[in-house]
Amino acid sequence: MRRGHRLGAAALAVTAMLAALAACGSGGSGNGGGGSQGKTKIVIGTFGEFGYEPLYAEYEKLHPDIDIVARVTKAEDHHKNLAAHLATNQGSADIEAIEEGWIGQFKAQPDKFVNLLDLGAGDLKSQWPEWKWQTSVSKDGKQIGLGTDVGGMAMCYRTDLFKKAGLPTDRDQVSALWNDWDSYIATGKKFAAAKVPGAAFFDGPTVMYRAILGQADVGLYDTSDNVVVESNPSVRGAFDKTIEAINAGLSAKIIAWSPDWNAGFQKGSFATIACPAWMLAQIQDLAKDSAGKWDVAKIPGGTGNWGGSFLTIPKQSKHQKEAFALAKWLTSPEQQAKVFRGAGLFPSTLTLYKDPVITDFKSPFFNNAPVGKIFSDSVATMKPQYLGPKAGDINTAIINGLTRVEQGKQSPDQAWQQAVSEIKQIV
Amino acid sequence: MTATLTRTPTSTAGSRLSRLRRVRRLRPGPLTYLTLTAFVFFSAFPLYWSVVVASRDNSVLGRVPPPLFPGDQLIANLRRVFDTVPFGLAMVNSLIVSSVITFSVVLFSTLAGFAFAKLRFRGRPGLYVAVIATMMVPTQLGIIPLYMLMAKLELIDSLYAVIAPNLVSAFGVFFMTQYLTAALPTELLEAGRVDGATTIRLFWHVVLPVARPAAAVLGMLTFMNAWNDFFWPLVVLTPENPTVQVLLSSIASGYFTDYSLTLTGTALATLPLILVLAVLGKQLIRGIMQGAVKG
Amino acid sequence: MPGPAPLKEFDVKSWLYRADVKASPYLYISPFFLVFGALGVFPLLYTAWVSLHKWSLLSEQHTFVGIDNYTHLLHDSFFWNALGNTVSIWVLSTVPQLVLALLLAHILNNRLRGETIWRTGLLLPNLASVAAVAIIFGQLFGRDFGLINWVLGLAGGGHIDWHAGTATSQLAISIMIIWRWTGYNALIYLAAMQAVPDSLHEAAIIDGASSLQRLRKITIPAIRPTIIFTVIVSTIGGMQVFTEPLLFGAGSNSLTGGSDRQFQTLSLYLYEVGFGRYDFGYASATAWMMFLVIALAAIGNYLLTRRIRRAG
Repeated sequence: MRRGHRLGAAALAVTAMLAALAACGSGGSGNGGGGSQGKTKIVIGTFGEFGYEPLYAEYEKLHPDIDIVARVTKAEDHHKNLAAHLATNQGSADIEAIEEGWIGQFKAQPDKFVNLLDLGAGDLKSQWPEWKWQTSVSKDGKQIGLGTDVGGMAMCYRTDLFKKAGLPTDRDQVSALWNDWDSYIATGKKFAAAKVPGAAFFDGPTVMYRAILGQADVGLYDTSDNVVVESNPSVRGAFDKTIEAINAGLSAKIIAWSPDWNAGFQKGSFATIACPAWMLAQIQDLAKDSAGKWDVAKIPGGTGNWGGSFLTIPKQSKHQKEAFALAKWLTSPEQQAKVFRGAGLFPSTLTLYKDPVITDFKSPFFNNAPVGKIFSDSVATMKPQYLGPKAGDINTAIINGLTRVEQGKQSPDQAWQQAVSEIKQIV
Repeated sequence: MTATLTRTPTSTAGSRLSRLRRVRRLRPGPLTYLTLTAFVFFSAFPLYWSVVVASRDNSVLGRVPPPLFPGDQLIANLRRVFDTVPFGLAMVNSLIVSSVITFSVVLFSTLAGFAFAKLRFRGRPGLYVAVIATMMVPTQLGIIPLYMLMAKLELIDSLYAVIAPNLVSAFGVFFMTQYLTAALPTELLEAGRVDGATTIRLFWHVVLPVARPAAAVLGMLTFMNAWNDFFWPLVVLTPENPTVQVLLSSIASGYFTDYSLTLTGTALATLPLILVLAVLGKQLIRGIMQGAVKG
Repeated sequence: MPGPAPLKEFDVKSWLYRADVKASPYLYISPFFLVFGALGVFPLLYTAWVSLHKWSLLSEQHTFVGIDNYTHLLHDSFFWNALGNTVSIWVLSTVPQLVLALLLAHILNNRLRGETIWRTGLLLPNLASVAAVAIIFGQLFGRDFGLINWVLGLAGGGHIDWHAGTATSQLAISIMIIWRWTGYNALIYLAAMQAVPDSLHEAAIIDGASSLQRLRKITIPAIRPTIIFTVIVSTIGGMQVFTEPLLFGAGSNSLTGGSDRQFQTLSLYLYEVGFGRYDFGYASATAWMMFLVIALAAIGNYLLTRRIRRAG
């Protein structure tokens, strides 16, 4: 009992002390820009790795009146927080990065963002490929973001498995095997006929479906935000083409980003996978011991993109002009080249695609494939496709349908019908 | 007063006592220890595994079968984590948040638990059900209105915003009430009343000692939960003034998770908890053993 | 109560005494209700209000639609599917978890060598980071390279696609839940068991009762309120289970809980609607429906637990 008293008293004292500390802590760093007199504080919120840290220091040196504060969060958390901050009109950064997968949702609410055309973004338009510029334009014609990186699209393949199947291994010859998706499937059938043990031709439906759909002029939405999944033959086409490959027995039936998928790169569970630029780093990481076995060829159909981001300025920002100046600087070709060299993010500016920084860039892990050239070819000529607000959820519903077919739960028609009815429920 | 409250053992015949001692000294067989060892092995494995991955690179995930022993990258990964994020400030913040919440939850839960379990007052059943009902509302959506509220109070980005909503816990009140209902002998309280003790005196001298085992457990669980909580802190705090969990969210690279870096971070974040458990655990568990009133 | 008091001084004392007895209960429960009233009530009322609107998180326009969201929800096959999954995962996980916890606590309530190690071991699953748990269970339940399938293969069995099937995926998730929460509940039971007077056990031991008999006849009746507590808390927790199915579905379709939503729980669905689609109005209606379901489940379980105790 005695001990109880002393313990209680001690705990009380400790708590009082901590509460006092908490008060200090919040007082010290609470109000904006209190510490650095006269400087304008620009907060920039990004996710994952943008490779911006050295650039911030450089910018602050160039502009002594600017103080940059970086907030980095995981991609999912970043976008969820941004939604909460926009909904409550409180707490967002001056510059917020938005990834392609989320841009449709956010640009459906253009009034929450500064229309960058008002700040002179129109003069920069020619910097990017047309499709990249269009991706962040809202349906009422406002530009809400400046493009940072892109994903591009290529086809990664295993030379060792191709050799076992009696297929060519040289990347130019491999690229020549598949000018379109039909010839890709035909090649797959040859691969399957060779019965390489433990290896299928491609990983699973997710990446293939997205790559095919991405090449269409019109995707899931028309430009007035109407869902056109049923009426647009391109969507059903991408679905059917993937089904064709599955039915030919070419799929390893692995769900993307699952543990089996991670292990599959190393173990050679699949011989090909459509790969955006950022996936190369992932393959290199996961399949460390398979150096030299992976190579990179052109994507069937020649173009494509998956991923990439934009820098936006929420309307609640109190320093919109300064924020725009910084965003403009960060997305300029010179800085994008530095980001590419530093963090490997593939640039989105046209001039760089002719610059030796990109054209001469080769990847040692992938047999010295000229990945700089392959990826810039895939994005330079890509057609713009309008991304609507719920594109992500709709794609999930369709990919779930493809997975159901793969898992033997449904026929293709049943899976499509269910996907369509799910999509109606979602929108 | 102490004398009246401590019940003396009832009559014990000498022979019974000696037989009892013999019985109590019988220790559980090897099978029990085997079961327990298996249990602790499975429980501890993910922690161990975190260290294995933290000491290697990402290719761990691609390997079949996965490697079972730590590699040599631990120092490099630690350096990468410390280069990326300011861990010191986050640790101090988490310590403040978790300690204040734990102290407050344990104190207020014990007080309320005492009232609900042993005191009579009008509206008791209804209020008690209300406490339990608050646990049934899914909390995920609450973050939006709560954020609006915190913005009005100008508490965004301050630790108070994380502490304030967690100062009390329905779980804690419910737990303490149920525990004290069974563990606190009513005669003990009545004896105190007869002696003219005020309610707060009863709480301090009778209830607190009896509540110690449950308070220790509640304290441990609360501290752990507060330390690991990230859903709300992530919305209301920024990486400029983060807790450990908020900081961990900024350790991610590019479009995919760098597992070795992530697990290095989470292993670091778990370290203080393990220390608390190792250092305090013994004390707390001794408290569990000795604190209870036994007849 | 003291009899009629002749002295004025005594009157004051007895008034104070009565005031203490009457008022202090309210004083003791007031911190909970004050903090909850200040910070908990507003979010509840707000989401209730939102649930009556067509309300996107990203839009300024909020149209009042009355109970439309609720009627829509009653016809929402995803909602009913999620409810069914939640209930079956709850049954699969809670019953074994609480029984195991009780047995474990009973064992740990003995005098053991190295008891600190065993007791602190109970909390280890809760200490492990979510990321570590996700990776490990991913490697356990993998189809191609998973450890469990590897063992099954050695025993001559076929590979199970744990994620694809309804039963297999829910079983796997239940195993994750049992793994994570058994020790937690055991610790709660253990604390309650400390308050059971030793004399009861000693008398039973002298009468020759076995360990299991003592658990049934002495311990369980004595810690009954705590058992009710764990049953209700794990009902509430089980109805809100979120992390485990999310981790299990790691991959491209994690929020939908599998290709056919075969392991999507209510919380996962709520999250998909609220933060996947930013449909705040519909998500709020879902949250309130969930509240109703949870309340019903908790009441049902409370009554069930009480009946068992009467029967036993």
